[in-house]
Amino acid sequence: MHPQAALRKQAREWFCPPFSGRFHAPKSRQGCSHSPVSGPISRQPVPLDLGCSVVIVVLAWSLLICPTGAQGENLKTESRAPYLHHIPLRDAEGQIITLPPAFDDQGKPQEARANPYSTAQTCGRCHEYEAIGRGWHFNAAKGNSKPGRPGEPWILTDAATHTQIPLSYRGWAGTFKPADIGLSDFDFLMAFARHLPGGGAGEPEKIDPKDPKTARLLVTGKMEIDCLLCHEVTGHYNHETRSKAMNVQNIKWAPSIGAGLGTFGGFKNAKVIADSLRPGRPVPTNLPAIKYDRAKFDADNNVVFEVTRRPSPNNCYYCHTSDSRMGDARWHSDRDIHLRAGLSCIECHRNGVDHMVVRGYEGETKDRAITADMVELRVNLLRRDNPAFREEEAKKRAESQLREELGMVETLSCRGCHMGSPRAKETTAQLGGRLASPRPVHKGMPLIHFEKLSCTACHAGPFPGEQAQIVHTSMAHKLGLPGPTRGENTPPVIVQPVFLRGEDGRIAPHKMVWPSYWGWLKDGKVKPLLPEEVAKTEKLPAQPSDDVARDPYNTKPLTEPEIQPVLEALSADKSRGEAIFIANGSMYRLEGGKLTSGEHEAAKPYAWALAHDVRPASQAAGARGCADCHASDAPIYAGRVTPRGPVGASNVVSKTMGELRGDSKRLVSTFAFTFIFRPMLKYISFGSGLIVFGVLVNYGLLGLGAITGGKRAKRTPPTRENDLT
Amino acid sequence: MIPTDNDPQNSMESAEAARICPGAKLAYAAMLVGGTVLAATGILTFGLGKAPMSGWVLMAHVSAAPLFAMGLAMVALTWADQARFGNTSSGQSVLTKALLWLILGCGLVVLLSAVTPMTPLFGASGQKALYLTHRYSSIVLTGAVFLHLINLARHR
Repeated sequence: MHPQAALRKQAREWFCPPFSGRFHAPKSRQGCSHSPVSGPISRQPVPLDLGCSVVIVVLAWSLLICPTGAQGENLKTESRAPYLHHIPLRDAEGQIITLPPAFDDQGKPQEARANPYSTAQTCGRCHEYEAIGRGWHFNAAKGNSKPGRPGEPWILTDAATHTQIPLSYRGWAGTFKPADIGLSDFDFLMAFARHLPGGGAGEPEKIDPKDPKTARLLVTGKMEIDCLLCHEVTGHYNHETRSKAMNVQNIKWAPSIGAGLGTFGGFKNAKVIADSLRPGRPVPTNLPAIKYDRAKFDADNNVVFEVTRRPSPNNCYYCHTSDSRMGDARWHSDRDIHLRAGLSCIECHRNGVDHMVVRGYEGETKDRAITADMVELRVNLLRRDNPAFREEEAKKRAESQLREELGMVETLSCRGCHMGSPRAKETTAQLGGRLASPRPVHKGMPLIHFEKLSCTACHAGPFPGEQAQIVHTSMAHKLGLPGPTRGENTPPVIVQPVFLRGEDGRIAPHKMVWPSYWGWLKDGKVKPLLPEEVAKTEKLPAQPSDDVARDPYNTKPLTEPEIQPVLEALSADKSRGEAIFIANGSMYRLEGGKLTSGEHEAAKPYAWALAHDVRPASQAAGARGCADCHASDAPIYAGRVTPRGPVGASNVVSKTMGELRGDSKRLVSTFAFTFIFRPMLKYISFGSGLIVFGVLVNYGLLGLGAITGGKRAKRTPPTRENDLT
Repeated sequence: MIPTDNDPQNSMESAEAARICPGAKLAYAAMLVGGTVLAATGILTFGLGKAPMSGWVLMAHVSAAPLFAMGLAMVALTWADQARFGNTSSGQSVLTKALLWLILGCGLVVLLSAVTPMTPLFGASGQKALYLTHRYSSIVLTGAVFLHLINLARHR
């Protein structure tokens, strides 16, 4: 039973007998999950004095009709056993959703129409929705957290204009913030709603009715955090129907539709209604309902949500699939060794109520802040246990405790988990071996490797080859949603593993994407153009309609003669700057009417570290010996990375991974060359050592013999033979 | 019976032996040259707080190692007899002799602690112990060689 409902029921059971017949909760509140008492009530009314009764009645009333809010209530089961979420649904206003009877007074069947359910009001009834909204999955647009290590960007992709622009609200170098390219928050939501979990940009604090983009949220509803995306257990959450709902801007209806609670019950989609919205005119109130599936509701209008605190990898995979094995080759993949060993993503990528999921890289602690929410939550706990704590004192204690707990974050990195972290507060975490992880021995591996390489360099991603491989990701390639088979050239083209140095100076495998967009160069700064603006030039070669079925992603390479007319058309407006095209790691521009291309800062690829799939030690780089990495053609140095993009690769210059890192080519090749002599070095060293050892033993024994012989000679009594000698 | 240097014939032989043969000199020179490069790259890097070595410095260090190793082995073969404590005809002081044995002992530790990590015998903790052993035995070795050199020069 819903904890609050239980409390209400308890309160009601205590007081119903004296008030029975007089007490009527508002109809909308009757759906509270207390079960109607059937049969005779055996409990006797408790005799109470009047004053006490009044206080308790007020308390009971406040429990029954207290306004709903997105702040969680302090009712927790605190058990490892999952709580059965047999709860009433609530709409955006906090009203309990009550289905009309199946038949009306005349006996005609009635549709189960009601408002879409709101996660903020339904889940937020008991869970700290606001605090959750500050977690990594939702906080990017809020700008209230440190950006952390560069991660996977959202890539605005348009096949027709050959656009692929890495976007992020976090301000990672190499990405654009949506506003920088003229993309409103609403546009961003619509571009990526398919994989956005809600919150952040989807839930602005204020909606300006005069802003034509934001005002649409008055009709479409805010994109609340859809808790079931991750926490649903059955695997019946339908991402496809949610995505389709999002595409037609049925935003607030999408969680109900995705969860399979019902279908959209209107004739017009929210997009159509929002299109007719005019600034200054009132927002229509008769918005479509959800046609609920009655089978999902019990007689008390409660719904069972099969949810878990520990989402399964399949839930994570919807947004975090990353695969180099494409199409029919997917069966070749062993997937991550940790999953194979029975762990799930959340064993390492953990979080507290703040949903600041541990990302798992070393040094993450410095990228995490102790938020006011976390402090407040801890203060409440401290003061609950010790009421004598003053607010300030409790706050200091809370901050100190939370700082100590940050050490736990370090224990969930590869090194922290397998080897322990001295920063952790708990002794067990200091010792390592969490989750029965084996302590790596790394026999024969000189220590310098641990200073120069991340764990992932040898253990994560596909085994490095001569060329970086194409990889598809959920966020970039809409994996998880049905679409025509994606191929090697399906934009955006992302490659992995590219061995680059991270901010900590260690070499780690990365994914890499080259930006591709038309834009303006002014005062040395590049501003990308949105695809619709480029399309207006009508100079781009249109894909023949009969070719769409064969090549649905329009992957035919763009030729230089096709680039020139677009740049010429864009150049008509000189006020915005010089028209340019960024693609394949180069900047294309017109110089004296001729198309030229060259390197430019804006054309540099964006890279982010990868950490999965982790390979077992027997498949790590170096498992075959030093030559895995120290041969002259070892992929970590000599592996080639070819800029990928929409332009035909005739004049594209590929670079080695060593060059991309800025390593000295001569140093690398010389170092690799020295490995030819390494066996000789071993023989010489061991041989020399053996000689020195032999000499030491020989003379040591001689010395010992001299000492012991001398003593023996002194002890031996003189004899005739001795005298003669 | 243990031969003594009081014997006149033995004294002549000893005087002959006291002269360091060119081979021994060459061995010592090789050890010295190799050791100087190793000390310059290794101890200086450590002293400057830039340990561990990498890149060109590491390659220079590793390149000089065989010369030092072979030099050390040759020194062991050619100098050991003169460094016997019972050998009074070598013209070397007890301290010089002791320093040579220290050089050989430390040299052996330095050699083995450098080359053993290249074999799949030790894990990370073993590697760390070997690395530290290599570092500190090298410092002792450098000091011993330096003092040995001074002593040799003084007795000449």
